[in-house]
Amino acid sequence: MAHDQCPSTKGLKEASAPARDLPTLAGRAQGSPKVWRSPEEFADAPEFRDWVEREFPAGASELAGSSRRDFVKFMGASLALAGAATIPGCRRPDHKIYTYSKDVPEEVIPGTPLFFATSLPVAGGGAEGVVVETHEGRPTKVEGNPLHPVNQGTTSAFAQASVLELYDPDRLKFPVYDNPARGKLEATWDDFKLWQREHFAKFDESGGVGLAFIADRQSSPTRDAVRERIRQRWPSATWVSWDPVADETGLEGFEIAFGTPQQAMPRTENAKIIVSLDDDLLNNGPAGLANARGVAAGRRVLSPGDNLSRIYAIESTVSLLGASADHRLALAPSQIPMFAIALAKALQQRGAFADRLAAIGELAASATIDENAFESKWVDAIADDLMLHRGESLVVAGRTQPPAVRALVHAINETLGNIGRTISYRRIEGDDASLPSATLRVLTRQMSAGEIDTLVCLGANPLYDAPANAGLQAAWDRVPTTVTHSVGLSETEGASTWSLNAAHPLESWGDTQAFDGTIAPIQPMIAPLYSPSMSQIELLALLADPEETPDGYELVREAWRARLGGLSERSFEPRWRRALHDGVLAGTTSQGDEPGVVAARVVSALNAMRNAAIPTRDRLDVVFRTGRLGDGRYANNAWLQELPPPDTYVVWDNPVLMSPNTARELGVWGFDDANEAYTGRQIPRARMAQVVIDGASVELPAWVCPGLPDNTLIMELGYGRRRAGHVGGDYDPAEPKKGHKVGFDAYRVRHSDARFAVSGATCQRARGRYPIASTQNHWSLEGRDAIIREADHPAWEAFGGKIKEKPDPIYGEPVIRLNFAERLGELSHTPENRSIYDNPYNNTQGDPPEFGPDDPVRSEERLPGMVYDPVLDKWRRPNFARGPQWGMTIDMATCTGCGVCTIACQSENNIPVVGKREVAKGREMHWIRVDRYFLGDLDHPEGVAYQPVACVQCENAPCEVVCPVNATVHDDEGLNAMVYNRCIGTRYCSNNCPYKVRRFNFFDYSQAKFNGGSGLTEALGVDLPNENFIPPRLREKLDEIQKMRMNPDVTVRGRGVMEKCTYCVQRINRARYEMKLQDIKPDQMPDGFFQTACQQACPSQAISFGNILDESSEVSTMRGNGRSFGLLGYINTRPRTSHLLKVRNPNPVLRTPVADPFHHGGHGDDHGDDHGNDHGANHDGDHGGTTHDDGHGEEHSRGPRTLSLPVLLDQTISGALA
Amino acid sequence: MLFGKWMNAIPTVGAIGSGGAGFMVVVLGWYYLTPDFFEVGYMPTQPGEGFNHQLHAGELGVDCRYCHYHIEESPEANIPHVGVCYGCHAETRLKDSEFHKVEWVREAYAEDASIPWRRVHKLPDYVRNFPHHVHLKAGVSCYSCHGQIMAQEVVHQEHGLGMGWCLDCHRNPTEHLVPPEKVTDLTWVEQHLKERRENDTGLQQAELLLDALHKAPPQNCTACHH
Repeated sequence: MAHDQCPSTKGLKEASAPARDLPTLAGRAQGSPKVWRSPEEFADAPEFRDWVEREFPAGASELAGSSRRDFVKFMGASLALAGAATIPGCRRPDHKIYTYSKDVPEEVIPGTPLFFATSLPVAGGGAEGVVVETHEGRPTKVEGNPLHPVNQGTTSAFAQASVLELYDPDRLKFPVYDNPARGKLEATWDDFKLWQREHFAKFDESGGVGLAFIADRQSSPTRDAVRERIRQRWPSATWVSWDPVADETGLEGFEIAFGTPQQAMPRTENAKIIVSLDDDLLNNGPAGLANARGVAAGRRVLSPGDNLSRIYAIESTVSLLGASADHRLALAPSQIPMFAIALAKALQQRGAFADRLAAIGELAASATIDENAFESKWVDAIADDLMLHRGESLVVAGRTQPPAVRALVHAINETLGNIGRTISYRRIEGDDASLPSATLRVLTRQMSAGEIDTLVCLGANPLYDAPANAGLQAAWDRVPTTVTHSVGLSETEGASTWSLNAAHPLESWGDTQAFDGTIAPIQPMIAPLYSPSMSQIELLALLADPEETPDGYELVREAWRARLGGLSERSFEPRWRRALHDGVLAGTTSQGDEPGVVAARVVSALNAMRNAAIPTRDRLDVVFRTGRLGDGRYANNAWLQELPPPDTYVVWDNPVLMSPNTARELGVWGFDDANEAYTGRQIPRARMAQVVIDGASVELPAWVCPGLPDNTLIMELGYGRRRAGHVGGDYDPAEPKKGHKVGFDAYRVRHSDARFAVSGATCQRARGRYPIASTQNHWSLEGRDAIIREADHPAWEAFGGKIKEKPDPIYGEPVIRLNFAERLGELSHTPENRSIYDNPYNNTQGDPPEFGPDDPVRSEERLPGMVYDPVLDKWRRPNFARGPQWGMTIDMATCTGCGVCTIACQSENNIPVVGKREVAKGREMHWIRVDRYFLGDLDHPEGVAYQPVACVQCENAPCEVVCPVNATVHDDEGLNAMVYNRCIGTRYCSNNCPYKVRRFNFFDYSQAKFNGGSGLTEALGVDLPNENFIPPRLREKLDEIQKMRMNPDVTVRGRGVMEKCTYCVQRINRARYEMKLQDIKPDQMPDGFFQTACQQACPSQAISFGNILDESSEVSTMRGNGRSFGLLGYINTRPRTSHLLKVRNPNPVLRTPVADPFHHGGHGDDHGDDHGNDHGANHDGDHGGTTHDDGHGEEHSRGPRTLSLPVLLDQTISGALA
Repeated sequence: MLFGKWMNAIPTVGAIGSGGAGFMVVVLGWYYLTPDFFEVGYMPTQPGEGFNHQLHAGELGVDCRYCHYHIEESPEANIPHVGVCYGCHAETRLKDSEFHKVEWVREAYAEDASIPWRRVHKLPDYVRNFPHHVHLKAGVSCYSCHGQIMAQEVVHQEHGLGMGWCLDCHRNPTEHLVPPEKVTDLTWVEQHLKERRENDTGLQQAELLLDALHKAPPQNCTACHH
């Protein structure tokens, strides 16, 4: 039952709630797996439940520690400060309007955004084509370019966050010169130009001996061209194209398989079977967006009979592809090679590897497979499926795998006839094809030997991210002169003789080449904020020719003209202008080659590979991976720091991850003492662990991630930056008390020969605990069953098109029609009801008649969802019969859980970042959260499911009736509006929201200069004063630079105000203006005329939005689909956002698919559907009574958790009688 | 006697007095704490010696859209860039005294500097925009919100711009609608609206205009607050 949340009695009562069952997955009958979000929830300790069931989790509502004395102290100080601070605020501010002067920028209309196509380089090569929204010349929002073949309108999280990077107050603002005698001095670019002319001239004689460059890996034709100039001036100079997380095994695999370096171009949309050997196709790589779109195309079933792809993921992490997969096998990285060979063996036995590749097949056939590593049924099932789908399957291997396995996978694809159909390749050369760690190793040797006199670092940060055993730091100190060119602060820049401020890609000219060869321009959206500055190509051109004043625009044009075969100015100009307009240089997208695999080389590589022993607790496998911060370059980006990663939901930190079993065995299980974790400070505190790899060790917190293979540790790179800025970390390891640190530096234990996976590590418990901010338990829909629904493909085939009619259980309507998805949920199960409300909707079949003065208003009182009508002076039903009526659908079959929607929403709607301490208290502000559920048991969950939840814009919104000041009301287009200036912060609405999608500004988060960075990250363990208590006027205010990134169409919310998803109402209004100016009725707005931010960004195009009254609109089609259901539909909130359930396609050999989810069988604990077993449109309404009787004579434990109205009523009545 | 008999009146007088005082607080607050008191009449002096709308728009008859030229395509009514001022004031046809009066405009143009005009009409931050273009398209004259600009030497704020005032019009739009091509003809509009009020004429025309809008003006919170 409801827990006592009264602060006065809460501590007194014993925490002893009765144990209960976890909800199970709706959509299967027998053996339905349990659904849970975290190990704590699985264990279900009373303390944890108490913690999670509160209106805002984890003491979000607590002011401070906090005693009454603290409160008085804080309030006294705050009032005094506020009083002092507000005196100058009483006068009307004198606003100046500065107009353009002589030269008015072309096409700028004040108040109207302009959109420019450009592109952004992807870290480590590749590119994204984007369209940038600018307001009076300042970029505010990045969207995908629909014309770019990689993006096709979608974006990655990095692209979304690049605006925040542009306006980072920590960026380098001017050159700094480290004078040997006088220390660091502020310098100018003119100083540098003078200096470099003299300094670099001395290398001309030797042709560049003693000169070295470390450039970050980029795919840019212009940079290649300018680099050629450098090569011409100094042929002997060393050039390292550096990327700490380059996929080197992949490159080596291509060398083995094809003899040439290639870029794989998967065409996932053609693949009916996808087998991943530790490759997260969907994650942010150069091809991640294209893959996500392709995989989604194979998963989006709209009607029975549609093809549904099948995905097998054999993986060492919980990846996005693994979560989407139909079958997921957690396997240690060292065991996956054996799986690959076993697969080849099984394929050979089934007749693959015939002609050319026979040698590979024979070798695989002779291999011995360790029976203990994995069950052989997996291999057999996959091999059978692959043989059945030759030419329409795809096998991929990830970067944790050795080169021989990467090569073997190409051979498998060739023998299955997939090359050219589901995957093709593009020949790469130059920097893209070089192996960074080998070239860096050579350079380090030269540096240590004192052979390097001058080192130029371009965008790279090797002092932070070079392998631990490379000895780069020592070698660095032997180089007399170092020049670093960087956008933001970096470890390397701080240790350089010259530190030069670079221009951001959003403020400079350049170009990019995407993984498929598409060349796209980078054009500046704004003049450099910290001018003068130079882009990388300009600096290189300056070094190549000191007499020239480099101009990025001319450099790009020259490079392109040369590339297009030296076109004349006249024929080049139209192509150039077209490319700037479209954001793509037409005709550069590669169609892909189909190289042949060289069997002999694959055989010898496989022969050289040794089977690794199965990891044990003394010899652990370790996987290094990159996440939200990339290789560390995004550390100072607060949006990315606070965007929960899809597997752990731990923000602002990178604990070492391990499976529950391993954590228990190693003694680092953090949840053994639930009292400690979830009382007191109410922040989970993980145990510290020491990880030792090859003699190098690092101490970091341990965190349990279900779904990982046992005896495998996952370490995320990119954290623990020593010099990143106020957000990403700024500390000196020698003086750990000073500065602040965000996460832990995993590069310290990463060796040059073990790039992504290593065996033989040890891990043991270290002293202390460490507070972790994880959002996985926040916003729990505690007590509402079957929130996540899935079905198996056969069930969808059988029932997907059928509608069941039954009497309305809530209002007693004669009939309601339930589709497939709704039958799987509670709506079909809700018993007949004595409603306490009159049904405001039951006088018409659908929506109420058009509004007019004669409209019969059935009740004088205010019912949920009603709007106040000032003309009638009455509450009335909103007029939902007249358009446009907005609605949204989220397709969970294609949703991968990547979280791009969250950050796109953050960018569009000026959502603040709150910092680690605030997140730990459950105060994060994201309007869209992506719920992650594990299915099955704790140690070996059978799958992972994601479900994005934002405000679903209930037609019967429970929040509206409880607001005492009408700050949340309905409008006539179906939006549940939130009026910020009315809100007084009672938070009743959030309390009454069944979806927990409302976010409260506990403090003036948007006023914080560094987005929660400073002081908030490290101070968790210590009782430092919270800077939020200082009135914003006295706090270091938001930098002017940061204000520039705000979307001017959206209010910046202040303290004490509730906020939530608005369906991007500012975009709706903008579209409406357009319609009015064009004399088009708003309800005749063409479908897709505008998109919401989340819909726009979603890489798998899972979100549709539009007018639900327009029957031809995409959103209407999706709403009408049999997979569509309203979240918690049984409480009659009538959500405008529908979710579409996921359909999985299990292989019957590995798991028997559920063909009839409505059939109970003999099992008692499933909550399927009706007992009549009707497989059609029977009228079956045999639910009687008000108790929850599932017809098996078994009073099941769901009782107290059910929130259906009659049960609540019963409880209320009996409570009152007692 | 410690307590005189006159003291018996204290509770009565006190009750009436405090009631009356409370009433006065409400009455005074009702008026003085609203935009109608705080905002109306705000009349900042513009750069130079002030910009004379009465001269430019009234006497010389420059159309509003000559300077505020984006108003039909943008939610914001733009303030003209310096080049617009210079377009006329570069000319030497003006009398000497007047020519020198605007020397600063030519200086600003020569230096490519901006002129810091002062904002007169300001909406609160939580009102995200007032779409000028849509209102013009609908036939709401400048006059309805800004008053008779053509007669103002120094522009002042004519109306309080409070939400209630906005809603008055959104609920009864016919009182303010004029043919869209007439919206900037403020003299005509003033006369026409006055006649309409007095003689009840033209309402039918306004009804027709409203029909052309397809939908009555929005009264939802989301129309302005987001």
